[in-house]
Formats: sequence, structure tokens, C-alpha cells
Amino acid sequence: MKAFANYHPIVIFLYFVFVIGLTMFYMHPIYLIISLAMSILLSLQINQKSFLHSLKWMVPLFVIAALINPLISHDGEKIILYIDDNPITIEAIVYGFAMSVMICTVIFWFGCYNKLMTSDKFLYLFGKISPAFALIISLTLRLVPRFQQQIGAITQAQRAVGMDVTSGNLLHRIKCGIHILSILITWALENAIETADSMKARGYGLPKRSTFSLFSFEKRDALTLTIMFILMTINVIGSFLGYTDYYFYPTFSELVLQPISLLLYTTYTLLLALPIIIELWEAFKWRSLISNN
Amino acid sequence: MAFIDIQQLTFSYPQMEQPVLHHIDLSIEEGEFVVLCGVSGCGKSTLVKHLKREITPHGDATGSVLYNGTLLNELSDKIAASEIGFVMQSPENQIVTDKVWHELAFGLENLGFNTMTIRRRVAEMANFFGIQTWFRKNTMELSGGQKQILNLAAIMAMQPKLLILDEPTSQLDPIAASEFIATLHKLNKELGLTILLVEHRLEEVYPIADRVVIMDKGAIICNGTPKEVAKALQHVDQHHPMLGGLPTPLRIHHALKSQTNAPLTIRDGRQWLTNNFKAQEWQSKKIYDRSFEKKTVLSVKNAWFRYEKDGLDVLRGFSIDVNQGEVISILGGNGTGKTTALGVMSGILKAYRGKIMIDGKPLRKISNHELYHQCLAVLPQNPQTLFVTKSVISELQSTVETQNLTKEEENLQIQTIVRKLNLESLLERHPYDLSGGEQQKVALAKVLLLKPRILLLDEPTKGMDAASKTVLATLLEQLKEEGVAIVMVTHDIEFSASHSDRCALFFDGLIVSSDETRTFYSGNHFYTTAAHRMSRHLFSNAITCEDVIEQCNQQQNRMIHS
Repeated sequence: MKAFANYHPIVIFLYFVFVIGLTMFYMHPIYLIISLAMSILLSLQINQKSFLHSLKWMVPLFVIAALINPLISHDGEKIILYIDDNPITIEAIVYGFAMSVMICTVIFWFGCYNKLMTSDKFLYLFGKISPAFALIISLTLRLVPRFQQQIGAITQAQRAVGMDVTSGNLLHRIKCGIHILSILITWALENAIETADSMKARGYGLPKRSTFSLFSFEKRDALTLTIMFILMTINVIGSFLGYTDYYFYPTFSELVLQPISLLLYTTYTLLLALPIIIELWEAFKWRSLISNN
Repeated sequence: MAFIDIQQLTFSYPQMEQPVLHHIDLSIEEGEFVVLCGVSGCGKSTLVKHLKREITPHGDATGSVLYNGTLLNELSDKIAASEIGFVMQSPENQIVTDKVWHELAFGLENLGFNTMTIRRRVAEMANFFGIQTWFRKNTMELSGGQKQILNLAAIMAMQPKLLILDEPTSQLDPIAASEFIATLHKLNKELGLTILLVEHRLEEVYPIADRVVIMDKGAIICNGTPKEVAKALQHVDQHHPMLGGLPTPLRIHHALKSQTNAPLTIRDGRQWLTNNFKAQEWQSKKIYDRSFEKKTVLSVKNAWFRYEKDGLDVLRGFSIDVNQGEVISILGGNGTGKTTALGVMSGILKAYRGKIMIDGKPLRKISNHELYHQCLAVLPQNPQTLFVTKSVISELQSTVETQNLTKEEENLQIQTIVRKLNLESLLERHPYDLSGGEQQKVALAKVLLLKPRILLLDEPTKGMDAASKTVLATLLEQLKEEGVAIVMVTHDIEFSASHSDRCALFFDGLIVSSDETRTFYSGNHFYTTAAHRMSRHLFSNAITCEDVIEQCNQQQNRMIHS
């Protein structure tokens, strides 16, 4: 589960932009099924535990979302029954399920995104756009846990001199809380002076600051990006030509299997399955490396 | 032409009449390891800050500072930032970013290097300083010693030609401190780096320095090789506070007014003692008084504690008995849980098993109000966590107010404590403007206003120079007389040897050995004072400098009389 995560952040980020973008764009049942299947496969591969855990509330969500549509939408030709003179149609039911599938799929994809695109990768990408912003984030990430630690130390020290936030009447507690906060603020301001000195002493503020990161863009990243772009372009062109259109209303449009639509399905599957393929490929290489020894 | 040349530097802070530095002349050659020392407030920090342009304090300065023949103010910004490195006291405050690797790269980013160069330099530094294993960690997760090594490495990545360090080890425990000093020694020997180190803990740096410079009241009083300075110091008064910071062999040598070549290391000191003195049995006059049974005020029996439900046990059957009017030191390695033990003793942390009794009453049954007023008080490691107000006097007032006394009683109490701790001159100042030792004193005053009968101290000597330690020692002595039971957790072997009645070694969650101080230290082989290590082959039970001096004096007197 490490192979794709080790790719350059831009590859991971664009992958999810493409995948989530296309998933939200296509209502074609075959596309929906492909995306759902791939998102489940990837979730199982990279964050099995939390994925299975999330099914507890994802399944009810799926059902509810699917059932709401036929209750509020009465379009469609195949009517199965009337509720209070309102027709319930098969089209509306199927459309509801399709929408539900899409929502769940997108949620699954976001789960994978969170797992693969950690905060430091995200910061690195957006630091490229604004280095000052990236540095501020880095400083903040350092300060927040420091403050938490200091609040703990202050609370303990104050408790031992009789200023206990956890006991006494409300007024006393408020007073203690304010005390602690005021100590924290003074402490933070005083110590920030030294941090500022340390920054200045190391040349902060000189012109032409550069940014450094541990991520490097390798050949495999370029290769993967190229493949992603080709697959993406094929699918986008296909959509423009109308091969991915599908209508639920007034009634279902026909599913035709042309060579060109088969090509589109395959490329779409390939695009979505990239991390899974990379993962399997690495696992295979790893095993053959070991067995060769 | 010297590498660094300070000429006739005089400096005073704004609105201060007395200059902090008077006509300082100092030159440093390339590749020298110079140690600058002196009591706190002598102007040593101010002096070194004048060598780093970016952090030079504001004020009136006359005289000049030359770096490699150029006036410091005329250097380009880039050279000034990169060629002169400055490491400060607090490991924590100097770290800017959240990741170790980013911290190493920070200075290089500022200088605008490209990714390839930064990558190489960062890798070099990580290797040299042994950072590889924690390279990708968050800076929050590091220990104090690691943080300070990181600060040093981050500066070394910029490839400075001059490295200035302002008391870099004062916040570290002894093991981390000696590791840090060893790294500095390596940088100097292997890279020929010029180092100017300000330090008050001289035990380890003194022998390895090329030159020692001693400052007093804003002027340089000694300047030369360690041996020369040792000789020059012979003329300095016996009671000069500076002497307390010198390495043990040198202090003993100095106190005996010996005219021989001064020993700098323990090894030389042993040799010197062997050559000049004979082995002898000796009983100290000061012996721990066990004659009358003292009342046990705090007792912990078999306490177990962990921070999280599934976490590791930090205390595993910790037991201790604290008697009225005695000082107990708890010693032990860093991060072993000594502070946790103190937390459990003070009731701030709750042990999940075991018995804690105060005056024979279970701690659980005592309300917080009862416990922390006139019973038990804790002096935290960081005195800043206690300061709420803008001046020392209001700091004291705010503490007295919690006790529901009349105005006169309040004033009387404040006056008493102020007199006891010599705080008169500090009353109007902001607590944060005080030196570390003074802050510690004010914090102690605050805690003592609660009239505790049991006082728990967490690293009371951290960051203190020898003079402040003497003040603290006198105070502990007074409190002891009044029957206060004192427990301190400390790394300071020397201090605990001189000023505690009992010492306990904390290891693996409990106290593994506990004994009367003299027995404790003369029984240990490694974990003992420098004075004992230096003299144990002659005087088996001498543990402090004073002990050794006393024994040597006895021998000298006997020789004169016979």
C-alpha cells in the first residue's frame, strides 16, 4: 500500500482531480459501475479497516439517497404505482440508485484521497503557489502542539498554587481559565522574540528565498502523468462526441456496445485502476526480487 | 590580522547609565576554540551578540568589530547571515518549522540555494550529526538534547566560518550536554571551525578550550590558555562567585593556593592529588542526624502510574518516605519519569495503584484546597508557568490574596518573603525581564507564600550559575530549619551532593537505591560527583570540593606543625 503513495504529490493530486471529476460528470451506468468497483478495490487495498468501518453508515446513506428520488421526482414512462395520485416510476427509482452510487463512489474516492494525499504533500503543492503561505503553515503546525503542551504545564503549575480550573465555583473557574490564558499569551509573545531572532540570524528576510522539499519529480512520475493525460484525453473526447451520454428520462436510453465505446470503457477502467495496477506491479517485482535471491 | 577583532567596544542599553561593556578588546584567530565565561549579568551575552549583526541589541555602542578585516556593519547581508552562526540558549525557541528536515533546510532556503544544493548540504549535516534516524520526524517529538543538536546542525548547514554559542547546554541534562560539547569539539578539530562558546558550566569545556576568556562587570579580566588563566586566577579573591563555575580539579587546586601546575581534568587531578597528598581515613563533621526520629510527612507506597490506559507504566511500584526537615534529591536519567513521580507525589497526577499518605492521611481524602494551602507546594520546572502579572510585587500580592487574610497580614507576609529571598531590587520589574536564576527565585517566593510544609522542586538549578545556586542552597537550609520537607528532582549531582540529606536513584519506574548522601555518592562508581571521582583513591568518603579541600588542608597543616 506504499507504491502509489510514494509518487510525486502532483501525480497523486491530479489523479484524484481526474477521477473525482469524471466520476461526478458521468451518469452512464457502466461508467458508474466501473468507478464504484475501482473505488472499492482501491479502498480495500489502501485503507481496508476504515473503509469497512465506514460501510456501517454508508449503506443506510446509500439506501436513503436512492429512495428519496422516486418520492420527489415523478418523471418517466414506466409507472408501477400511484401514491396519492403521484406516479412512482421505474426511471425515477433507477435514477435515484444511480445518483446514490455516484455519491457513495465520490465519498470512497475522497477516503482514498485522504489516505494518499497527506497534509505535507498538499502543503508542498500549494507552497509552490505561495511560499510565504507555506511557511506560515509550517510555523503554525509547530506552534499548535507547543501551545497545547504549555497549556498543560501551566494548568498543572496553577493547580498546585491553588488556582484549579477543575474545582470550585463557576466564578473561580472562569478566573482560573483567564489566568491560564493570560499566562499562555505572555509566554507565547515573550518566546516568539527569540524565535524571530533565530529566524533573522539564519538570514530570513533576504531577497530571493527558495523553497526546498523532500519530494522529487522522477521519470516514473512523468511517465505516469503522461499515461494519465492520454487516458483522460481519450475519455474527454469520447464525452464530447456523445458516447458517454445516457438519459434516464423520459425513459432509459439504449445501451449500445460499439467498438469505440468498448475502447472508452477500457481506458476509463485503466485510468481509475492506475494505483491498483502500480501496487500489484510493485508487489510482483518485490516477490520476483526475493525469489531470485 | 586576526579573524575577529573587537576594538575598544563600549556599550550601554538605552536609558541605563552604567555601560554593560567597557572598552572590550578581544581578538580571535581562525580555528580557535574560545570559551567565554563569567557570572550572569557580567555582559558576556551582550558581547557575543555584538558579533552577530542581525541580533545586536539596541543601545549606544562605540568601538568597532572587525570580521576578517572588514567592519561587521559593512558585510553583505548574505555573508553576515551565513558565515557567522549563532546558537542560542533555549533549544525549543530556536526551532522554527514543524519538520526536522525543513528546519535543516530553513537557513539554506533563506539564502536562496537551489534544491540540489540544499539536498546535498542537508544530507551532509544529517550524516555528520547522526540525525538520519529522526530526519522525517516532527520537531515536537524530539528530546531537548536532540533539539539543540538540530539547532546546531541547522546552522552548520549554512557553512559558517565562525560559530557563536550562548550557553547552549544550560537547558540540557548532563548527558545531553556532554554529547553536545563533544560535537563542538569534533567540529573544531575536524573542520577547523572557529568557535566562541559562552558557558557557565565549565567542567567539560575548560580542558578542551584553546583559550579561556573571563569577564567580570563588563570587562575582560583574564584571557589566555586554560593553564595561563588557571594561574592568573590565583590572584582572584577566594570568594569571587566566578570560581564556583570552574572545573572541580581547578577549584580544589585554587582553594589550596597550590603553586604547582594546575590540573584541568579529573585524570590530571587524580595524579596531582597522588603526588601531593597521602591517603587518609576521615569522618566529616557534618553527618546526617539520625539521632531523633523525625516525623514522616509524605509517604508513597508502591505507586503505579501510566498516562494512557494502554500506555506503558511510567511508575512501577514507586515508594518513598519524606521526613520533616530533610532534603531529598531524586536523581536519574532524562525521560525516565522523575517529573511524573513528582506529579504523583503532589496529587496532580493520580496513581492507579498504591498508597499516598500525607501526615498519615490518604491523599485522596484531602481536598485540593486543603492540599495546596499551607500543606504542599510544587515549584515547576519552568517558572514562567507561574507568572501572571506585570511586576514581581503584584505577582506576590496575587498569591497572598488567595488566602483570605487582612491587609496588614498580607503586607507582613510579602515583606518577610522579600527579605528572605533578597528580592528588594526586583520588585518593580517584569518577571520575564529577569534572568533564569532570578525567575526561579520569584517563583519560589510565590510558592513559599502558600506556607507549604512539603516542598517539591522540579529541577531547581536548571540554567542557574554558581552564584544563584548558592542563594538557593542557603534558602533550602533555612526552610529545613523551619521543618519543611523538601524533595527535589535534579540532574545536578554536585548540588545534590552538597545540599541534600538523602539521595535516591530513580530508574525504570522506581527508586532503586536510596541512602544518606555521603554513603550514596561514595558507593557509586560512575554516578557520582567529580570531586569523588578525583579523590576516591585517597579519601574514600569525600564527595564535595569542600570535603577534598578540608582533607588536604588538614594534611598540609599537619605537615607544617610536625
